[in-house]
Amino acid sequence: MFSRLKFVFGSSAIQALDLVDRQSITLISSPSGRRVFQVLGSSGKTYTCLASCHYCSCPAFAFSVLRKSDSLLCKHLLAVYLSQVTGACQQLSVSDEQLTDILLTEAEQ
Amino acid sequence: MAETLRRVLSAGSAAGPAEESAAEAGPPLLLLGGPGSGKTALLFAAALEVAGEGRGPVLFLSRKPLQSLPLRTGAALDPLRLQKIRFQYPPSTRELFRLLCSAHEARVPAPALLLLDSLEEYLSEHQGPHETAHLAALLLDTAAYFNHRAGPGRGCGLMVALQAQEDADSGDTLQLALLQRYFPACCWLQPGATGTGQRCLRACLEPGGLGPRTEWLIAFQPDGEMTIT
Repeated sequence: MFSRLKFVFGSSAIQALDLVDRQSITLISSPSGRRVFQVLGSSGKTYTCLASCHYCSCPAFAFSVLRKSDSLLCKHLLAVYLSQVTGACQQLSVSDEQLTDILLTEAEQ
Repeated sequence: MAETLRRVLSAGSAAGPAEESAAEAGPPLLLLGGPGSGKTALLFAAALEVAGEGRGPVLFLSRKPLQSLPLRTGAALDPLRLQKIRFQYPPSTRELFRLLCSAHEARVPAPALLLLDSLEEYLSEHQGPHETAHLAALLLDTAAYFNHRAGPGRGCGLMVALQAQEDADSGDTLQLALLQRYFPACCWLQPGATGTGQRCLRACLEPGGLGPRTEWLIAFQPDGEMTIT
């Protein structure tokens, strides 16, 4: 399993598994039912990954995935997908307004 | 979403509107064409189509209010349909982000269709690919949330109009390629032969995936009537 992940995703695979091991992925949801993922990166910075489509706020996603198209996804998105399979995802409930702020903070950076 | 547009465009032909997959929202669709190529009119026609389906309301986003109704015949004059279309005019990219990020706070029925006209007006301030991708992803995320709210089998479609040229320079091509990663289906509108007082357009729909490519000719009469062949 690991060697296959590494074959497809390269070095992101081990970094993503490391993020899963350290329980760095949080699924944030509000009473409205809207959800978003946050991943605590190795540098201590938090990145937002949208739950419904392929998007991460990290620089690697902007560069390798969007600009150069030489990766399918960044380690944070891979970690989100892996954590959903393994169930190693933290859950956090916030109010609808707080969820707006989380989504917006990302947009206004 | 390609299916809704297909129904709008097929309604004029003999086959009549198809009932199947009315609730199937399908992949998000990008409506592309040069200035004055009828993008707003087609978005509005899609809004009227979905408003008449007895499902949720339609949310129509645009930077500027419509100067006049793009269509002035048939369904466009049906007040019950018009009432179901909610127009909102976020004046800046920042306000559009705010609207999308807080869409879950609105205590109104979830829309069955989310439309955005003139995406280019929101992208001009944000040139970077990351911002473009973020806006596209947030539009998809908002539609996915409405989908979730609407419940199984009801779904919320997403259709976005963008001013674009097929022979654009490399910067625009990159931006379009990026948007098409998020919007698998697209429909190009191109000016066709202009007849006596009427404007003709060729619409070419590529539904994404394995669906068939379809073309229509659309004519706008001077009185605002849209006929499709």
